This record gives sequence, C-alpha cells and structure tokens, in this order.
Amino acid sequence: MSSTTVIPFGPQHPVLPEPLHIKLVMEDENIVEAIPAIGYVHRGLEKLTETKDFTQNVFIVERVCGICSVMHAMAYCQGIEELMNIEIPDRAKFLRVIWAELHRIHSHLLWLGLLADAFGFESLFMQVWRDREKVMDIMEETAGARVVISANTIGGTRRDLSKEQMIKINLTIDEIKKDLEQVESVFLNNYTVKHRLVGRGILTKAEAQELCTVGPMARASGISMDLRTTGYSAYGKLDFEPVIHNDGDNYARTYVRLKEVYQSIDLIKQAIAKIPEGEHVVPVKGNPPKGEVISRVEQPRGEVLYYLRANGTKNLERLRLRTPTFANIPSLMKMLPGSQLADVPLLILTIDPCISCTER
Amino acid sequence: MIENLVEITVDQLLAETSKSKYEGYRFITATCADNGDDTIDILYHFDKDYEMKNYRVTVKKGEEVPSISKIFFCGVLVENEMKELFGINITNLAIDFGGHMLLSEEELDSPMLRRQITIEKRGGK
Amino acid sequence: MFKMMGNIFKNLVSKPATRMYPFVKREPFENSRGHISGCDIDKCIFCGICQRKCPADAIVVDKAEKSWEIDQFRCVICNACTEACPKKCIISSSTHKTSQYNKDTLKVIQAEKPTEGVGKDA
Repeated sequence: MSSTTVIPFGPQHPVLPEPLHIKLVMEDENIVEAIPAIGYVHRGLEKLTETKDFTQNVFIVERVCGICSVMHAMAYCQGIEELMNIEIPDRAKFLRVIWAELHRIHSHLLWLGLLADAFGFESLFMQVWRDREKVMDIMEETAGARVVISANTIGGTRRDLSKEQMIKINLTIDEIKKDLEQVESVFLNNYTVKHRLVGRGILTKAEAQELCTVGPMARASGISMDLRTTGYSAYGKLDFEPVIHNDGDNYARTYVRLKEVYQSIDLIKQAIAKIPEGEHVVPVKGNPPKGEVISRVEQPRGEVLYYLRANGTKNLERLRLRTPTFANIPSLMKMLPGSQLADVPLLILTIDPCISCTER
Repeated sequence: MIENLVEITVDQLLAETSKSKYEGYRFITATCADNGDDTIDILYHFDKDYEMKNYRVTVKKGEEVPSISKIFFCGVLVENEMKELFGINITNLAIDFGGHMLLSEEELDSPMLRRQITIEKRGGK
Repeated sequence: MFKMMGNIFKNLVSKPATRMYPFVKREPFENSRGHISGCDIDKCIFCGICQRKCPADAIVVDKAEKSWEIDQFRCVICNACTEACPKKCIISSSTHKTSQYNKDTLKVIQAEKPTEGVGKDA
C-alpha cells in the first residue's frame, strides 16, 4: 500500500511561457491523476469587443496572443469580409499568406528553443533563437513591429511589399534553412535527446480522435488534418501536403513541428514567385449587415474558430473565439497519468500551451 | 453564413449529439449569445472532413440544460465556461469547477449577460 | 572528431553575434512604429477623427481650447491615428518608447496661437 502525495505544478514554472496550474496526485514517482486549473490570465476580451467599433476590434483581437497574432487578425478580417460581401484583391491574399507563414516559422522556432531549454540544453536554445531573430528583423522591416505586427485590416493589408524587400526575404530564409539543417540532426538523431523524447507521452490515434485534438498534436498521432488544404486566402494556389507521423509520442511532435518549418519556407518561396500585381487594399464603407458567420483558420497550434454576429450597427453583437490550446488541454489530462514526475514539464510543453489564448 | 444550421430543442440535444459521435463527427466548441430578450442561444459546432454541422438551442435564463461531457469529454472546459460567464444551469458535468474556473470570488457573477448594473455612490471617501 | 575542428576554427575567427548594448545601440528600421512623438499643431483642424479611431482611447482633442493631448502609457502604437488623419499632421517616430519616471508629465498639450494669419498681408 503506497500513500499518495499531491504536488502542485505551480502557476510559475521556468519551463512554461504562461501561468498554468496542475495538481498532480502521485504515488512514489508515478502520476495517478492530474487536475488542471486555469484562470490566471483572464482579461475579458470578448466583452470588450462588444463596446468598440468593428474596425477597432482588429487591434483588440490581435492582442489576444502574442505568438499567433497575425492569424487571429486574419480570421477576424475574413469573417467580416464574408459578412459584408467584400472581395479583396489577389495581391492582398498573397501578402497575408506571406506574413502568416513567417509568423508560423517564428512560433515553431520559439517552441523548439523552449523544448531544448526544458531538457537543459541551453546552447541549442540560443542557437535556435538566433535564427528566430532574423525572422523578427524581417517583420520589423516590412510591417513595422516585431511581435504584434498589425499588418491586416478589413479589406486587405495595411502595407505593401516592394521588390527589394521580397529579394531580402528570400535571402534570409535561405540562411535560416541552412542553419536549421545543422540543428535538425541534433534534435532528431542525438542519443541523449532521443532518450528523453522517444516513447514518452504516447497518445494513440483512437484517443486523439476521441478527445478531439487539433493541430500538430493530431498530426503526430496519425490524423491527417490541416485546414490550409481547404484553400482559404491564397492557399488554394499553393501546393503542399500536411506533415504526418504515426507514433504519437514526444519525438513525433518534435518531428512534425520541425518539418513544418521547412514546409513554411517552401510556401513563402512559392508565394513570392506567384504574387500578382495590383492593389493591396479596398476601401470599406458602411456597417456590417444583420447576420452571423463562422470563419476558421489554421494557426501554428491548430484550428481556431471565430463566430461573429452583427446587427447593423457599428458594434458587433457577439464575438466568440475558440483557440486550439483550449481543445488540447483535455488530452493533457489523459496523457499525464502513468508517466513519471521528471517528464511532466516536457509533456506539458509538447502540447504547445498558449494560455493567454485559452482564457482571453 | 453558417452552413448546415439545424434548430433543435433541449430534449433532443443528447440524442443528436450521440448520433453525431456515432457518425464520426468531431466536436469543435459551443457558443453562447445573449439575445437581449431574456433568452440565450447556445450553438454547438461539429466537423467532419472540413464540413461543419451546427445545432442551435434556445433556452430561457435559468432553464436546465444537460451536459454533453459524458459523450464528448472535451466539452468539459467549454461548459464550465458557459456556466460561469453566462449563468446557464448545466447539469451532470463530468468535472465541475463550481463557478471558479475563470472568475475569482470577488467578481460579479455572469459578467457576459446584458444587464443594467447600478452602482451606488456612498457619501465621503 | 574532425568535423568539430571546422566549427571550432570558424567560431574562433568570426566576430560575436551580440552587440555591446548600451554602448552600441541598434539603428531602428525606417518604417518601424516606435512611438507617437507629437502632432504638428499648426496644421491640425481639430476634427477629432483620431480620437474616434484610437482603439485604446489615448487621444483627447479639445476644439474649444485648441489642444491635442495623448496619454503615452495608453498608446499601443498601432498608428491608426496617423493613417486616419486628413491633414497628416501626427508624427510617428521610429525610435522605441523608453521608460519614464512620472506618469503625469506624459501628456503633450500644445495650444495653437489664436491670431495666426492676420498679419500676413501686411
């Protein structure tokens, strides 16, 4: 008969980017039960959007999360454009794709660095974040800010990319690709790294379907689901396949996210080669008519859903967003029992927790 | 525009949800909206192979709504949030946080409903 | 073992990847949004469009007093005011906003000279 102890995986932890509290009920070194508690970053943003104009809401919605902010603005703008029947020019669609894929690269590089830091490999963390700095410099030069770039607006984008900037983007992502090839062999083939990642935190395909996981977690368990293949914005004209792995453990999730960086680099090159000439914004007049609309976009962490309801005035009646980490937390509650205490920080990091998205 | 929207009543909710699970649909989320005239709309969104199916249930404030967390475990977070922010009476939750998942004890309850709140000013500082 | 020598040699010879801040500061890019440094008060017509467009409610325009003030702590540097101004008189500079000591000295109130343009024909 072993006795149980309760250890709090506290709201503050060096491994987590944002506060999350989990109560771990343990017997010796093995975990028996895990109960999460969220609510440390609740800001009430959905209520705030009911008091502002529908054009000011773009700025509020971007600031729900810093790491995936461009896709939030893109989903909101797509929803309002569908409600008001506005057709945006093709050049604006390609520009949105370029900034969205740059954002996806920066988010995955941030996650890879945090993973290396979580198992103590600090110099690898610094190497990966050095490459991320190059992406942040491109975003500051082209769109004006490093993290929350405010590039999207209703009717198109706020700025345009000139030919010299596109040549510079091409050169920079070639450098990133070369650096990443060196780092890839450490993540995927190193003996000690594999010992920490292979065979831990297994989520089978049936469990992933039952718990309705989204994003790279589902793709690492063998479910082929990527919303970009439905062809919203300019993705219908670009050619790619979702990256899948069948094992469902921590190694599979690292593999999927690393290969998605290569996929994004390839998508940016295709978009820059195919971008048409034209305007980058259309003027918008009037208020959204009465009605409701749902728009979905693929963020770095999965699928995000926006529900908008308008009633003819300049304020929206209801804006609801469901972010991918919200859907992945129940699978965390099923993955933790059965593992050991030393693996817990890594397991929580592999769902890519973005808690400020979860509790806007 | 929302595709495949079906209006159902509160009694048909559990039956329709079990049927969707049997057919292989994935539960995305549930949305709550206050209609302004004492009723609340709850929408449930499902997805299969990128095609959505949505159900709308209209309830009065205070009416009981059964929970779908025994059928889809991932609905437990959404239903706790609806219970706290809108004050909907959801019964039989798999994990019930008791109204404190997102809000703390000092805040107003059900902050997302449209209500008039009067604040009294006491004399002096 | 010998693959390492190429890397070691390259690291010994090249310069470090960091810069010696605060002695060496980075030059900001030209179009980056640093902070709103003020408004060209002679061109302003006090229409109030910037006050309506600001998502953070940071700008207050007073037509009677002819003043334009901005609360720098509320501003999120989105540049919506700069794009919406019909006379293009809001100046946005590209250096990053630094921290300040006092909260109340950050309101930039400038009053326009009331009798401008009268003595121009003379």
